[in-house]
Amino acid sequence: MINFRDKNLIPIWEKVQRGNELTFEDGIALFNSHDVISIGKMAHWLQREKNGDAVYFVVNQKIEPTNICVLSCKFCDFAVKKNSPDAYEMTIESILEKLNPELLEVHITGGLHPDWEWDYYVGMVKEIKNHFPRIDVKAFTAVEIDFFSKKFKKSIEEVLLELKEAGLRTLPGGGAEVFSERVRRLLFNQKIGAKRWLEIHKKAHQLGLRSNATLLYGHIETIEERVNHLLLLRDLQKETNGFLSFIPLAFQPGETGIKPRNQFTSAIDDLKTIAISRLILNNFDHIKAYWVMLTEELAAVALNFGADDMDGTVGGERIAHDAGAVSPMQLAKNKLIKIINDANKIPVERDIFYKPVKLHSKNVIGRVSYLNTLPFFKYLDNREYKIFPAPPRQLGFLFKDGNIDAGIVSLVDYFDKENDFTFLPYGIVGNKNVKSVILYSKFPIEDLNKKNIAVTDETSTSFRLLQVLLEMKYGFDVVYIREKISAREKILPNFDAFLTIGDDALKFIKNKPEDFVYSYDLAQLWFDWKKLPFVFAVWAVKKDLPQNKIEVLNKLLDDSLNKFFSTKNNIEEFYTAKLNLNKKEIEDYLNNITYRLGEEEIKSINLFREYYSKLKSKELMVEKF
Amino acid sequence: MLTKDILKKALNGERISNEECLQLLNYNDILELGETANEIRSIKNPENYVTFVVDTNPNYTNVCEIDCTFCAFYRHRNEPDAYTYSVDEMIQKFKDAARRGVTTVLLQGGVNPELPFEYYLELVERTRKEVPEIHPHFFSTSEIIGMSEVSGLSVRDVLIRLKEAGLNTIPGGGAEILSDRVKRKISKKKGTSADWLNVMREAHLLGYKTTATMMFGHIETDEDIIFHLDSIRKLQDETGGFTAFIPWSFKPENTPLEKHIKSFASPYRYLQMIAISRIYLDNFPHIQASWFSEGKKIGQVALHFGADDFGGTLEEENVHAAANFVNKSSTEEVIDLIHGAGFDAAQRDTLYNIIKVFRKGVEVKETV
Repeated sequence: MINFRDKNLIPIWEKVQRGNELTFEDGIALFNSHDVISIGKMAHWLQREKNGDAVYFVVNQKIEPTNICVLSCKFCDFAVKKNSPDAYEMTIESILEKLNPELLEVHITGGLHPDWEWDYYVGMVKEIKNHFPRIDVKAFTAVEIDFFSKKFKKSIEEVLLELKEAGLRTLPGGGAEVFSERVRRLLFNQKIGAKRWLEIHKKAHQLGLRSNATLLYGHIETIEERVNHLLLLRDLQKETNGFLSFIPLAFQPGETGIKPRNQFTSAIDDLKTIAISRLILNNFDHIKAYWVMLTEELAAVALNFGADDMDGTVGGERIAHDAGAVSPMQLAKNKLIKIINDANKIPVERDIFYKPVKLHSKNVIGRVSYLNTLPFFKYLDNREYKIFPAPPRQLGFLFKDGNIDAGIVSLVDYFDKENDFTFLPYGIVGNKNVKSVILYSKFPIEDLNKKNIAVTDETSTSFRLLQVLLEMKYGFDVVYIREKISAREKILPNFDAFLTIGDDALKFIKNKPEDFVYSYDLAQLWFDWKKLPFVFAVWAVKKDLPQNKIEVLNKLLDDSLNKFFSTKNNIEEFYTAKLNLNKKEIEDYLNNITYRLGEEEIKSINLFREYYSKLKSKELMVEKF
Repeated sequence: MLTKDILKKALNGERISNEECLQLLNYNDILELGETANEIRSIKNPENYVTFVVDTNPNYTNVCEIDCTFCAFYRHRNEPDAYTYSVDEMIQKFKDAARRGVTTVLLQGGVNPELPFEYYLELVERTRKEVPEIHPHFFSTSEIIGMSEVSGLSVRDVLIRLKEAGLNTIPGGGAEILSDRVKRKISKKKGTSADWLNVMREAHLLGYKTTATMMFGHIETDEDIIFHLDSIRKLQDETGGFTAFIPWSFKPENTPLEKHIKSFASPYRYLQMIAISRIYLDNFPHIQASWFSEGKKIGQVALHFGADDFGGTLEEENVHAAANFVNKSSTEEVIDLIHGAGFDAAQRDTLYNIIKVFRKGVEVKETV
């Protein structure tokens, strides 16, 4: 519920809730609005829909190999010319010295050096990967990629492919500044414009690299230019889905002469820009509050205004520092954790691709991030717990590492932790069929022996169920390959079948994959075989939680389910747009799932446990991929 | 009661209870709190401006015998950097401040037992006479109690004499947390909560206007905070003498208290406190955002969470930070910060009368 002071925002809120895209005019109305709290509440709502209470950070290090730059951009007081006494150059050895094995990410950007050879850049990436295989390399903005292409007379594709081969994983989002020819001419006329920046990122995405995007705001740009910038990014994301996150960067005046030295952006402009970015970029998973530029305090507040990422421990943040950012050079990991916890969020240590490595919070409830858990959570209003959503397998890793106190987790992950956890009488149960655990195949199931099957990297239990069916019912020997499977991307043609689950499986309902003409609902196959429902997930709770806490949770879940199934029209259109299903189809889907565990379900759990331990004893657990 | 019902109740102008306040202190959705507080603020002060005062905050002495563990400012009398200014020196400072456009001097000291009562009377009298542009906003409750001890007069008589000399407002500092349990630990020589409240009550009854402050984020509990808020809300019901409430979070650097604190107040706690102050203190006209203690950015955000006043320009402090503000006077910067938060800026006097409104979008330099 939002009590809008600015009534112009009400139609925008309706669109946000329906999952519709905002228009240019909506963006302008948001930037012109003084109703900061309402904008924050909308953005926070969308943030929680996408990421629950998770706020990500990465243990990372920034490297700027040189400050010598052939360009002279007005807003930059980092770059110098070669003969300047402040000029510096780093060798690959000195870069390696700055890294350590604790890091998961290195962020490399620097000046456009007039003399360096191509081998130096490729060598830098290669050597980092050689010495620190755990560190993912995020390097070279589009500006640098363009420079390499021209200087070394290679196509953009060649540049990117050679770097990718050396070990590059993602491109940073810098160099976008603001997509406006007017501003470019005035402030950075030697630098590439919007068209080239977008072209380079598009090419990177097509070659399988991911990237970030930024907006530099708070200098001479207009709000129209800001909104236009966001819309261009949203369009490219629609096409490629290659952006990981968006980072609004507050302009730091420093000695640039564009604005008085200490005239920083207002806190309200910072929060509004973050919130409005969250709302407009509805196809971006993550919005970053870059604390080095915002101040720690404001970045903390931004975590309730749409931002779900704090960047990282950074280190060596020379560019922002030279222009007078007030944050210290290196914010220790513990500090980030404290800031995020103080903001009532879950600090999630991640890798470069937002894979969660560790949760640093108490009282975390895990949630499989699919529509089918909605009945548990829609009316679960308990502020004692923070909600961490993730696909089953990713949730399973964290669950097994002891990061979660309770939650709806995949059945086999629960089996693996049965010593420490028990379960409440709730789960996700396919009764005869489930509609969202589907094997698509080019051949009838009877002919799948010796075939190659792609398995979504999100599954824990469904994959084991598939193994049990194919290997124990049919006696097949099959090669499984973990793949990112998504309805929006083309399924690789060299597989004979693929397993999709959850919301992705729902998206395939109206968008049947070509060539894969056979489809099998795994719950149905299990039922046909055993005449039992199949339990995909259970509500696990830590055995050592105080009994009263367990009882409270039990009651909360009971109330949530009762309320959900007795309330009409409680499927927000948000989900219909997201899944390409109408309300009726979504209701039918949820009504078809059993959420309470009875005798049949327990029987099925026990039976499947036996099969699962047989898989284990046959050492089929060692995944052949 | 559900938290949202408490908020609805407050929005309808009903007073919330201490138990309900405790629930709000444990409620961490700051946007919900902020929304309600902002709505109440706009009902109470519907103009789209945020007030500020052009002031300076000097200290006539740093000699103090109270030894509060949260203070990094005081010195004992024989320490080498102890100082006490003469009345002449202070008057000269005020004249300089008046030339810079200062309208209010918030003057506090240590509590220096060697200064006679006449010193304080002379300060007030001569300020009124020789620097009439300046409104004296002098002396915390501890100093007034100190004057009572030095002079042998009752607190009431001290306040009467100061009033005759020309004083009619006093600052609300020294309240810290009105909890004797906490005060025994952090400022055991400073007097009890009742002392602070009594001085304020006497002052209000004599026609003084005062502010109230609260320092949180150290060793206090939620119950201590509620006791504090409850005490000042009751006194305000009785006297109506408070103009504004100013919560601020304890800043640990260089204080003996630092090592006893597990966790300092986050910006979340500060915004929560601003919002709750607005919601709970239904009889206070103004809630002040403390940009000086919380940082400028968080100060700006607080203006959307129930605060309607940005405090003072603190010319004196900014003299030291001058290097950072070479382009602007403090007044210009405060106006810019208020404009940046989306409000017009209204210069006020100590009694919250509006002197001049600086509209957004109008070049500040021309108007200051």
